[in-house]
Amino acid sequence: MKTLRLGIFILIALAQLSVPAIMAWGRVQTLGHGRVWKFKTAPVDPEDAVRGRFVMLRFDAEDAYRQPEQLKSIDSVYAILKEGPDGFAVVDHLSSSPNPGDSALKVEPGGFWDGQQRIVFPFRYFWLTEKNAPAAETAYRENSKRGQQNAFVTVRVRNGDSALEQLYIDNQPLADYLRAQTTAKK
Amino acid sequence: MPGTINRRAVRWLRGQLPELVAAGVISSDNAASIERHYGTAEPRSNFGFVILATVGAALVGAGIILLIAHNWDDLSRPMRTMIAFIPLLVALLLVGFVLMQRNESRPWREAVAIFDFAAVATSISLISQTYQIQGSFGEFMRVWLLLCLPIIYLLRASVGAGFYLIGTIVWLFSREFGAFVRSPNPMFYWFLILLIVPYLLFRFFENRAGRETAALAIITTISLVFGLGFTADFAKSDLGAIAFAGLFTTIYLSGIKFFPQPNDRLHVIALLGGVGIGITAIVLSFESSWHMGREFLWGDRTLAANVAFAFELLLPIAAMGLAVFGLLRRHFQFSLSAAAFPIVTAIAWGIANLCDTGASTPTNPLSIFPHWVGTRCSFTAGALMNCYALWLGIDILARGIRSNSVARANFGLLLIAVLALSRFFDSELSFVTRGLGFIVVGAGFLVANILMFKKRRTAVPA
Repeated sequence: MKTLRLGIFILIALAQLSVPAIMAWGRVQTLGHGRVWKFKTAPVDPEDAVRGRFVMLRFDAEDAYRQPEQLKSIDSVYAILKEGPDGFAVVDHLSSSPNPGDSALKVEPGGFWDGQQRIVFPFRYFWLTEKNAPAAETAYRENSKRGQQNAFVTVRVRNGDSALEQLYIDNQPLADYLRAQTTAKK
Repeated sequence: MPGTINRRAVRWLRGQLPELVAAGVISSDNAASIERHYGTAEPRSNFGFVILATVGAALVGAGIILLIAHNWDDLSRPMRTMIAFIPLLVALLLVGFVLMQRNESRPWREAVAIFDFAAVATSISLISQTYQIQGSFGEFMRVWLLLCLPIIYLLRASVGAGFYLIGTIVWLFSREFGAFVRSPNPMFYWFLILLIVPYLLFRFFENRAGRETAALAIITTISLVFGLGFTADFAKSDLGAIAFAGLFTTIYLSGIKFFPQPNDRLHVIALLGGVGIGITAIVLSFESSWHMGREFLWGDRTLAANVAFAFELLLPIAAMGLAVFGLLRRHFQFSLSAAAFPIVTAIAWGIANLCDTGASTPTNPLSIFPHWVGTRCSFTAGALMNCYALWLGIDILARGIRSNSVARANFGLLLIAVLALSRFFDSELSFVTRGLGFIVVGAGFLVANILMFKKRRTAVPA
């Protein structure tokens, strides 16, 4: 009886450990081997930008894509990306299969109104650390408003999987930008 | 049946024994026999300690989450990943320790189960944060509940099972956030409930009269009410009223059948079912409850929506099954008026639906449900439910008086009073009529209570 109980315990322990492990492993692979895409962030409503410990992200490429066909009864579809003239990613078309793998971003169908179907990217938040949150909030607001769109994120894409890599403000990773700002103030 | 012994009464009786012996009412041998008789019936209760230990474990878990999440700016991703696994590894080591060394200690089992729950949540959250893994709160809840479930069975953790059941309610609400469709599919809820049923049965068969079983049954009932609410919304079939009538009647009848109490008393589950029946009957007595959405024909019906629809029908059938089973045995304790609730609701539903949409009750454009329209017979259906609620109130009142239960009699009266109150504000009666109505209901309360207390007073000397 005791052996059986221990056996079951080992199975449960493996299950509980494997879920976060698989989550991390998938991201490590995508971040290590995926193709880098740059997405320009869209202007944000300053009231809505930072919610506690994360920045709410919106993207130009997400807002710009519209199609007349409604996406019904599906949970997700692949947005096939291409690089725009300014080096930032844009959605070329939607596809049901992740081909080619390093350009296929899994997206959700968004709202359908005015005869147009919207899409929603799978990354909506950029998690912040407690120390950075207030400064990051100001920085993102300042650099993500109309007339001054100076923020973008890098995303790694591999086999249809995507991993948010870094938030850049004024061409510097967020942490570096904040450090530079602090030094400049001193 | 030792399970049905009232522990407080036993404690009182034990306190009385020395006095009774001293007064010569019973011999010391009798006192010893009584002591022996109840000796096994009152196991040492450490429920309070279990709760304290569990709360302690939850607080330690939360503290670890805050400490880890506080400041780890300067740590690399692999380092953060390693740290994310520490609480989970500690929790699993503790589970192993409890299984090997403290398997018979309930506080240990319960506390470690809750600590493991917190550790799983911490690890998943920290990994998600480290790798910017997106996902909805609903998905997180689902994975978390599924990963925690086996620990409930392994450690026989009832507090954990309570947390799980509350988690199912949280999951139901969490799906609504960030969803782009109205009423997303809630059917996974029933799968989550199905997974915990064996544990609930195990508790029931082990000690059906225990506080722990009652507490779990209460939380299950509350969870089922929410589950059915979301399912009815998702099924888009206008059958919510019948489904809820079925659910509460099933709960009421199950409470009476599976948790029998001495002296005509009601188990808390039967009580909850009864209160649910009363409230639902009052809600359905409003004519506007019978304005039908006619949503059934809207768009394509998915398989999940049809399953939800079948589920709604299953509950009144279950209630009827229990009622018929009781009636066939001729020895039943339940109230016929309460057991008839699903049938009456089904008849009212039929009346409201069989009529055409009437021009006499035009759609109110200001209503929050502008597409909900009255039929020519909405009023008739409402009137039927009024008669039913009145019958129910009188029946509960009569049963209360018969079984000498002040609480039950007053609940019957309360039902009648609320029904009267609803109609006073609902209809266009004159102030004089309303005033007279209040006087009649108030006088009813007084007379019934005086009768009850008189009956009690005469019963005591006998």
